[in-house]
Amino acid sequence: MFRLAAQRGIANKFAGSSRALRASSLYARCRCSTWKPTSGPFLPSAASWGNRRGYAEAAGKFSREKPHMNIGTIGHVDHGKTTLTAAITKVLSDKGAAKFTDYSQIDKAPEEKARGITINSAHVEYESDGRHYGHIDCPGHADYIKNMITGAAQMDGAIIVVSATDGQMPQTREHLLLARQVGIKKLVVFINKVDMIQDPEMLELVDMEMRDLLSTYNFDGENTPIIMGSALAALEGRDDSVGKEKILSLVQACDEWLDVPPRDLEKPFLMPIEDVFSISGRGTVATGRVERGIATKGAEVEVVGLGNTFKTTLTGIEMFHKELDRGEAGDNMGCLLRGVKREQVRRGQVIIAPGSMKAVKKFQAQIYVLTKDEGGRYTPFMSNYRPQLFLRTADITVALTFAEGTPDAEEKMVMPGDNVEMVCELVHDVAAEAGSRFTLREGGKTIGTGIVTKILEYA
Amino acid sequence: MIAQFVRSSKPFHASRLSRVGQSCYSTTPSKPSLQHVAQLRKLTEVSISKAREALSQTNNDIQQALEWVKNDLAASGIKKAANVQSRETREGLVSVCMLSGGSRGKTSLGGGGIRAAMIELNCETDFVGRNVLFGQLAADIAHTAAFITEPTDSSTIIRSCSLDVLNDAPLLSQNNPSSHSPSTVSSSIRDLIAKVGEKVSLKRAVTVVQNPLSGQSPNLGLRLASYLHGSVGSAPHGRIGSLAVLALQSPELARRLESETFVKDLERLERALARQITGFDTRSIKSSDGDETALYNQPFMMLGGESANKPVRMAIENWSKQQGLVRDDEEGGIEVLEFAKWSVGDIVG
Repeated sequence: MFRLAAQRGIANKFAGSSRALRASSLYARCRCSTWKPTSGPFLPSAASWGNRRGYAEAAGKFSREKPHMNIGTIGHVDHGKTTLTAAITKVLSDKGAAKFTDYSQIDKAPEEKARGITINSAHVEYESDGRHYGHIDCPGHADYIKNMITGAAQMDGAIIVVSATDGQMPQTREHLLLARQVGIKKLVVFINKVDMIQDPEMLELVDMEMRDLLSTYNFDGENTPIIMGSALAALEGRDDSVGKEKILSLVQACDEWLDVPPRDLEKPFLMPIEDVFSISGRGTVATGRVERGIATKGAEVEVVGLGNTFKTTLTGIEMFHKELDRGEAGDNMGCLLRGVKREQVRRGQVIIAPGSMKAVKKFQAQIYVLTKDEGGRYTPFMSNYRPQLFLRTADITVALTFAEGTPDAEEKMVMPGDNVEMVCELVHDVAAEAGSRFTLREGGKTIGTGIVTKILEYA
Repeated sequence: MIAQFVRSSKPFHASRLSRVGQSCYSTTPSKPSLQHVAQLRKLTEVSISKAREALSQTNNDIQQALEWVKNDLAASGIKKAANVQSRETREGLVSVCMLSGGSRGKTSLGGGGIRAAMIELNCETDFVGRNVLFGQLAADIAHTAAFITEPTDSSTIIRSCSLDVLNDAPLLSQNNPSSHSPSTVSSSIRDLIAKVGEKVSLKRAVTVVQNPLSGQSPNLGLRLASYLHGSVGSAPHGRIGSLAVLALQSPELARRLESETFVKDLERLERALARQITGFDTRSIKSSDGDETALYNQPFMMLGGESANKPVRMAIENWSKQQGLVRDDEEGGIEVLEFAKWSVGDIVG
């Protein structure tokens, strides 16, 4: 019976995977969304683009040996972000740790720009001694925020590029604000074009000003590595002392200073409950797909959410009709819970390592509201709008309001296409933490997607 | 020779040779100190190389260097502007300046005339679009446009403003209207280009300038409504903006306008109308039934309450009755005459 249950759980998972499908189509839509509707017949061009790109080249097989992180370049349009990216791949390709991606390939202008594909995640990749990096270019604030919310491109760390001839510009503040807003805690600064200045003393000034500014925006200005070099020199293979060597020290600084996000396996156990069965003679089984962490048979766990949070013991784990001693991130499995009645457990709750997450009732979130073209709403909405919130397997009515103290909150509106910070008050509590992603749906269509930024009230 | 030696020497050498060095100051450009460059940059936001050039041209005199930067900004702005001329500008802001909102408006000038302007200023990335310098310039240009336009007799109230005229007009700052800066709108744009290094361009401008109608009849009044969506903070600009001209007609108008609660209700309705125009896909005011791009046919969601499901036409008719502007079968009440709605990056035909 237990087996049957797990099997059904998996079958259910496939049913449930329509949700995953929806999520991915949402992602696809989000990418599509930046395609300007004016760009003509986009289907053929999308197809031809797909053809040109091709599937993974036969030679390359992605190795998971090194921890991966996404890194982005932020900076003024003329300060050499693209040159730097090309230079990194060039220098590392000499060691066989990257494929040289030259300027024109990175800057997939103009046809890609014309279609508005502005953020190109993991389009460029390279390896250092200790890590694998995916490289993201970050040309705009709004686009980037949207990609962060939808999960399309997550930047774990960033390189701020500043030209030595100009120093920081008025908009460098906006660059740092963006980094803050998307949750980047550490940055590396690359001061570019040092071969263009006559007076090396001026570099001290750029250094000093950048550290000042970093501290103003709550970054660690004192210890942030600042590398001074010339991306162009590295790209052209001249002046190794400001070129190649500096690129290598930049990569080393990234390795040493930027923190790799913990991998799913290293995080505390969490399995969203998709379905619940009662098996005579054994007890209650909850099925689902483990989102993160590892659970072993006999471990203490906590069931959290939907007004019913309690501790229990995992007396059995089953997958593919076989009993297991441990389940880990990515597994579709059934959990036998000791001394739990079927009515106590419901879809939408989560099974977690005790104390690793709490049920919340009210939180602040950054929300992207889909446009009409992305399948979202046609019309704006006002404070106290009540769509359905889908978080993992939970489906709960939520009231969206503006943060306390917002001027004219009852007259404020949110339009399709907006990125907004809103307060979400749930009808039932659900397990969530800062960084949890959710979607908002109304009348059978997805109208928005969001990410929890701050918990305001626990259940 | 000596001068060269002084320039290339380290500071402690320089101090030892300070007497020699000083004697050279009058004839050769001196090497600017870090502190001076830093100070000049704080004051002007020019690039490091410019700040350094300014100081070496003016013997490290901050006051003179400021002057030098000011003069140079025009030249380097033109150069920079030419460099970036071919680039595309899709980001930016719509800014509205309302100098006089009409009959009994908060910002009423000259007994109920209306005077306002809406402009769109573009740049390359929204990082610059979100910067205060850019926002300030957008607001100032809108203020200038509203200020310089003369009322004319024309069939429409919202008129497009010639960009050539506006570009040559002296920039009249919103915060500091009395300051007589010698810069024009176009030179201020070039100054900003020199500072942020991106192409900045003024795309379009409209103005609304109309003398009060109360001269013709005490029963008539004009009002302005505007809404800006997606502003950073509480600034008077956003990514989508609308400006609407409303007419009031009632035998009771003069008396009603004296009531503070009436004016408050009126303002609330105006804000709702402006939001409605902005938030919905509004392309005209009146049209055949069922056309939801016509304002009057849309459900008046933005007013809320029981009007939320009624068409705008009915909602404002009801409002006029409730407020005692019109009795049952009379003509009049409140009406939307014209509106303009812009989004940043609109393709203008």
